[in-house]
Amino acid sequence: MRQAGIYSAILPGGVSGKAGPHSFPLARIKKIMKKSGDDVKMISGEAPIVLSKACELFVEEITRKAWMMTMQGKRRILHKEDVASAVIATDIYDFLVNMVSDDHSANSEHEGLSTTPAAIMDLER
Amino acid sequence: MAEKEKVTQNGDATAASVPQTTAGETEELPKTIVRRLVKDKLSHLSTESEISVFREALQAFSESGRIFIHYLTSTANDICKESNRQIINAEDVMKALEEIDFLEFVEPLRASLEEFRQRNAGKRSGSSKAKEADRKGKRKEPPAAEAEDEQDEAKSDEGEDGSDD
Repeated sequence: MRQAGIYSAILPGGVSGKAGPHSFPLARIKKIMKKSGDDVKMISGEAPIVLSKACELFVEEITRKAWMMTMQGKRRILHKEDVASAVIATDIYDFLVNMVSDDHSANSEHEGLSTTPAAIMDLER
Repeated sequence: MAEKEKVTQNGDATAASVPQTTAGETEELPKTIVRRLVKDKLSHLSTESEISVFREALQAFSESGRIFIHYLTSTANDICKESNRQIINAEDVMKALEEIDFLEFVEPLRASLEEFRQRNAGKRSGSSKAKEADRKGKRKEPPAAEAEDEQDEAKSDEGEDGSDD
């Protein structure tokens, strides 16, 4: 019988390397981690687990904030501009500002983008 | 629940210009998983009306996740180096989360990590002999997704915590 490898043996998800229905594959997480800097070399077995889960939580949270923008624009389709608006309106998402400025098209201001103080305060909660 | 993902011709054209993963190029998060996370979250948020998501928006979510991992990892790396250690561990990541102001993630992540450790302890005590034999023999990983950095893999195995030994 095949013995499980380093990740699959220690995960309830078995050989797929996932820790749950929505979890990212750990090998991919680890690859992305290694590209975070030239001096990122060694990563413990647990660190990708925490990163993977953190990333899930993050995607869910930024989805929520982008959705709030969609709602404010009284739309039912979530646009890339809603993601951009969520980034701009949330301080701790400042690290994403470059992504937004690369993608952010000039017409976003007309896309129901709400940056009223109330909207920003809501997102800061 | 119907999977309604609105993709217009424009959406497709823009998505095509986004760099795709090629060997050695930017690794991205798996699209299907990102999509599922986003769609499930939206269905919780909006129970009456169904929210569709443009493909470009999904790409933006995916890219955000990737950059978040970079940001969190490099912060954790700094914390690790400041403690004169070489191997980024789970605690470094937890501290990094606090440092970048994602405080609300700390509790759920601790719970998740604890659960993982308990599961791992249970499995390890059951099969530690078998695993020892496996390690002493050849290292066989499935070709597709699993670890490829043999040297780092070996080093992190002998790392501080949570490793497979």
